[in-house]
Amino acid sequence: MKFSLLKKSLGVTASLFISSAALLAQDSGPLIDLLVKKGVVSDQEAEVLRVELQKDFAVNSSAGKLNLSSSLSEFKLSGDIRMRHQIETQAPSTATGSSLVTNERVRERFRFRFNGDVLLQKGWGAGFALETGQAADSGNQTFGGAAGSGSGNDDYSIFLARAYVSYNPNLNWSFSAGKFKQPLYTTDLVWDADINPQGLTETYKYFIGSKDTFEIRALQNIMEDRNESTVGLLGRDAWLFTQQAVYTHYFGKDLLNSVILAPGFSKYNQANIGFSANENTFNGPTRGLSIMTFAGEVNVANVNGAGTAFKLYWDSAINNDADVRVNEVYGLSSTRWKSDRSAWLAGVGYSYGTGKVQGDYSAKLDYRSIGLGSLDVNTSDSDFAFGFLNQAGYKLALSYNVTDFTNFNVTYFHTSDIQKNLTYSLAARDHTQLLQLDLVVKF
Amino acid sequence: MKKFSLLLAVLALVSTASAQKLVIKGSDTLGAKLVPTLAEEYKAKNPAVSFEIAAEGSTTGIAAIIDGTAQIGMSSRRAKTTEVSAAQAKGVTMNPIIVAYDGIAIIVNANCPVKNLTKRQVEQIFAGDITDWSAVGGPAGKISIYTRNTSSGTYSDFKDLAMKKRDYASSSQKMAGNEQITSEVGKNPNGIGYVGLAYIHDAGIKVVSIEGLVPDKASVLSKKYPYARPTFYYTNGDATGEAAKFIEFTLSDEGQKICEKIGFVSIR
Repeated sequence: MKFSLLKKSLGVTASLFISSAALLAQDSGPLIDLLVKKGVVSDQEAEVLRVELQKDFAVNSSAGKLNLSSSLSEFKLSGDIRMRHQIETQAPSTATGSSLVTNERVRERFRFRFNGDVLLQKGWGAGFALETGQAADSGNQTFGGAAGSGSGNDDYSIFLARAYVSYNPNLNWSFSAGKFKQPLYTTDLVWDADINPQGLTETYKYFIGSKDTFEIRALQNIMEDRNESTVGLLGRDAWLFTQQAVYTHYFGKDLLNSVILAPGFSKYNQANIGFSANENTFNGPTRGLSIMTFAGEVNVANVNGAGTAFKLYWDSAINNDADVRVNEVYGLSSTRWKSDRSAWLAGVGYSYGTGKVQGDYSAKLDYRSIGLGSLDVNTSDSDFAFGFLNQAGYKLALSYNVTDFTNFNVTYFHTSDIQKNLTYSLAARDHTQLLQLDLVVKF
Repeated sequence: MKKFSLLLAVLALVSTASAQKLVIKGSDTLGAKLVPTLAEEYKAKNPAVSFEIAAEGSTTGIAAIIDGTAQIGMSSRRAKTTEVSAAQAKGVTMNPIIVAYDGIAIIVNANCPVKNLTKRQVEQIFAGDITDWSAVGGPAGKISIYTRNTSSGTYSDFKDLAMKKRDYASSSQKMAGNEQITSEVGKNPNGIGYVGLAYIHDAGIKVVSIEGLVPDKASVLSKKYPYARPTFYYTNGDATGEAAKFIEFTLSDEGQKICEKIGFVSIR
């Protein structure tokens, strides 16, 4: 065929390019375009030349030796490193008449996260995330606190925080299995933002008009695997089942404002958890947790010029089985302690930009109350009151983009107990404070 | 004995017929209209040849050449370095052949009053910076963006040519083919999308000029139209046998006339 001759002659030309500088292969596109424009080579000759240079790049450069699957549509690597200065105050609850002791602690911490997400053909995907910190609710590693090490000056471990496969057959359906990013619409009142659920999740999205959506989201989260050869509850896997409806409506000029309404329901199967390892954890029966939730937000754009936004957000939870949880599972007397079935959060936020460009900033302030029998400590935020129940207080979060890829954040929590002198281990705090100063570099 | 001879003859015929089967996979831009038309004409002259054409996106065409599951891979984009590298690792030599030129036309609903956009406006619309038609001289209305899916060569070409490699707006809706895009934009007064030249005459849509230039033969050939591009066949090294003949037919005067008739710009 005539292309053989063409290729041979171009091979000589290409080799001249190649031998002069192998690295030219990556940057030769504009040069080849210019040669075509000047009429030195034809379009067809240019295409053969491009492939020759690409082949050379594959052989003669380290980057070109990456042999990625041809089924890959996209391979995204990302991550961040966070440096944190943390000041903590915790005052454990005491019985009536006893004096309080306030414990203070200062820690220098860091968090490293590295994510890989691939898009494959035909709607399939997969991904992973590596991070410091083994606990599900925190990727933090305290400097000088290497776990399991005899020396505080040792190196630190890396853990697998996510590993999942996903399948999106069309725009409406999506499925994931493994350990994946939180698929529910929620706040850290109910779900700690650091916890990546594991098991299965399904989402159906229905499009309404040009922008509105209505979604049904479901999560089957395995909390603990048990050996079924053991008879009874101790041999039964613990599963948390959550269903949620999420309606998103856009309104106002240019449809830039939005409101999100997300009611949901969570319940465990009858099982027993024995090895949960969160900040303030509960190991014992899953009984007494039938939690109805309602979260949402209202966003109003351009309230104070282009790029500004005001946000009103909330979350709430009511545990229908709070009496069972408090009296029978926690073993607290119903005559002395209220089961306090509700938890709620209400907050306001103001922002400029989306937090991705130098000079963007945001401020959020919320007040929340977490009743004794309202939430599951194994999933709720570990920073607010260090994960303790029976606490109310506020969280202030400020963020400023020093560069497009660097944020400086200040977060402050202040909480105090709702029912006084409660010394039960999951609720044993009179008051707490936490200040976190963060520098986050994303890549 | 006669029966046995007949059986042998039938088997010989069947094996000859299967040897004449040409498997072509890849780009929807090429594979939905142009290549089936070329195949029909070719088959009229060569009745013994049968075709299996699968138009599921350029990525699948290039993958098929690497995996050896097609003799010809159709692509509306160039093979990526990673693909050339993957081919190299498997002993496959990617060989590009320009079939015809194309221009990625920006289309809107036929009733949309917007007639012209700047390159910057196109980038901002498809990246989601501009979300309302009033920002580009149209009546108020939320812009609905229709793009190809991620297997498509047009999907990645458009990111390179028109969007400075930025990501598409998260609200954009991804369609399997050019015809689905023209169909959706034709139904949606606020719709905008992009298609190859072969699809710009579909009902209910119109083409928007880009800084005064419409995609036509002159602007595409001169490369003045900003979203002009070549379209390709890929083969493993030099094509042989029926694949080589079909490529030769595509590049012949007759083949190129068919390209023009379908809406592409001839390489001649």
